[in-house]
Amino acid sequence: MIARLRKLRQVSPFQIVLVTVFTALAAFMSLPIIFIFSHAFKPKNELFLFPPRFLVQHPTIHNFEVLLLHASNATVPFTRYLFNSLLVVSLTLFSVIVVSTMAAYVLAKYKFHFKGLILSLITLSLMFAPETVSIPRYLIINGLGLNNTYFGHILPSLASPVAVFMLVGFISQIPNDLMEAARIDGASHLGIFTRIVLPLSVPAVATISILTFQTVWGDVETSTLFMQKEAMRTLPFYVNSLLSGLQNNVAGQNMAAAAGLLIFIPNLIIFLLFQRKVLETMVHSGIK
Amino acid sequence: MSKLTAHRKEALRYHMKQYGTGMMFMLPWIIGFLIFVAIPVGWSIFMSLHKVAVVPGGFQYTWLGFQNYKDAFLKDSIFPIEMITYFQEMLLMVPIIVIFALLIALLLNQQFPGRFLFRALFFLPVIFATGQVLSELFTQGAGDIPFLEQYNLEPLVRQYVGGELALTVMEVLGRIVLILWYSGVQILIFIAGFQTISPSIYEAVRIDGASPWDSFWKITLPSSLPFISLNMLYTIIDLFTFPMNPVLAHIRENMFKVNTGYGYASALAWIYFAFIFVLIGIVLALFNRSLRQRGRRS
Repeated sequence: MIARLRKLRQVSPFQIVLVTVFTALAAFMSLPIIFIFSHAFKPKNELFLFPPRFLVQHPTIHNFEVLLLHASNATVPFTRYLFNSLLVVSLTLFSVIVVSTMAAYVLAKYKFHFKGLILSLITLSLMFAPETVSIPRYLIINGLGLNNTYFGHILPSLASPVAVFMLVGFISQIPNDLMEAARIDGASHLGIFTRIVLPLSVPAVATISILTFQTVWGDVETSTLFMQKEAMRTLPFYVNSLLSGLQNNVAGQNMAAAAGLLIFIPNLIIFLLFQRKVLETMVHSGIK
Repeated sequence: MSKLTAHRKEALRYHMKQYGTGMMFMLPWIIGFLIFVAIPVGWSIFMSLHKVAVVPGGFQYTWLGFQNYKDAFLKDSIFPIEMITYFQEMLLMVPIIVIFALLIALLLNQQFPGRFLFRALFFLPVIFATGQVLSELFTQGAGDIPFLEQYNLEPLVRQYVGGELALTVMEVLGRIVLILWYSGVQILIFIAGFQTISPSIYEAVRIDGASPWDSFWKITLPSSLPFISLNMLYTIIDLFTFPMNPVLAHIRENMFKVNTGYGYASALAWIYFAFIFVLIGIVLALFNRSLRQRGRRS
């Protein structure tokens, strides 16, 4: 107790100001999350209150019951969508990480043909709005016969320009001396990649994982366009179709709120899992 | 002589090997990129020059040349205006977001109790910055800040920045919340960037008598230049592909209209894209120049 008090006394006025400012900002930042949670537990009469209330007054789990009951009536069980989503997300995440780190490594550290071209293509394609390429993509998927396969979900997001773009920035910060030293010690290209580049770019990889997870998890485009069989579609599509039929319906609002939370929770879990790694600084990695 | 050619051959082989390794590592990405990004994007150029009609069993293309592009400026009464206002707004938003992220990252880089928690909290918005959650929040009115109306700031702003810009400034002020929520990744990139600066440099300048203020301007800022440019690019891209963006909404709308269709929508997308490209080109050129100058000096 006394030790703790002493420690508190060591805190300078600057730090106190810092912490108060940050607490205020942080409270502000976490508002949406509190909102999502409290919204999902609102009974129907509170959902339609005007002016809308931020916090729930009489929490209820009725919304979830309605959602699950509705789901069990469908032809394809809820769990099938969930399984599809989980499989697609994990495979995509894995392959995006492997493909992007490999590409970013050579882009940052090697010389080869068309490197400049590839780099500018990445920056170019980053800017292109995804909606505008959806129909050509459909035609390609169709041409390759990937309709109604898991590949149809995974392959389109494989070559992610955003991931490579961020990774190149990170990997080029790894000192060349470190890699040269490894090369002199007899490491192969693959060895340098797996033993040095990958471990050192863990923070960037974690960031990319969070971003990729989010986009893939919430993506309805592949399910809508490339999948014609209901059994191959993913969870967000299911939730969306559930909601779009009930958009202007009073009864649908509570399901929408509950579904919103269900879709959001995995994002939160992934975030909590990876954020440690993201924030883990490079101090310990021996770069200095 | 033969020794020399042998040498050269050896060097050539070494280079080819290095090029080959580079290409091998790139290959999976290139294939994916070509099939699912490059070809569709190319296809959309093709479509932007045509009138695309959906007929049973496929699409029908009618050659129009640059008619779609001309229509975008001459016939469309919404697109040019919406694009210009959006660009004005973004020109103000991008620097604000980057500077805000830089400040927050600097503060988060200080030693204080519980900074891990705060870092996590600032990164948190990343997970709901996309899609439904955000639009839901905005319709609920969570994105507004009440003091703007309460204290009637508009005349004040109008007085100081002039009528034309006042509207833009007010819009940006109204989006403060958005700025806070949109700087998660940027803050992270900055924090990671600060870690690449060696602490011994700070120690050295402190011993030489530099104040923290000096060491920020002389060391932290110049060394984080590459990260500032990275963040600029990221922010621009993030904002311009923002799902609630009015220009994109307009493009999407045109996609499914019978009389305009996919060809016209592609043309609009390409115009929009060209403008962003110019903007990014300017940013990159500026940063490249300042980086090169720094490189020459050191």
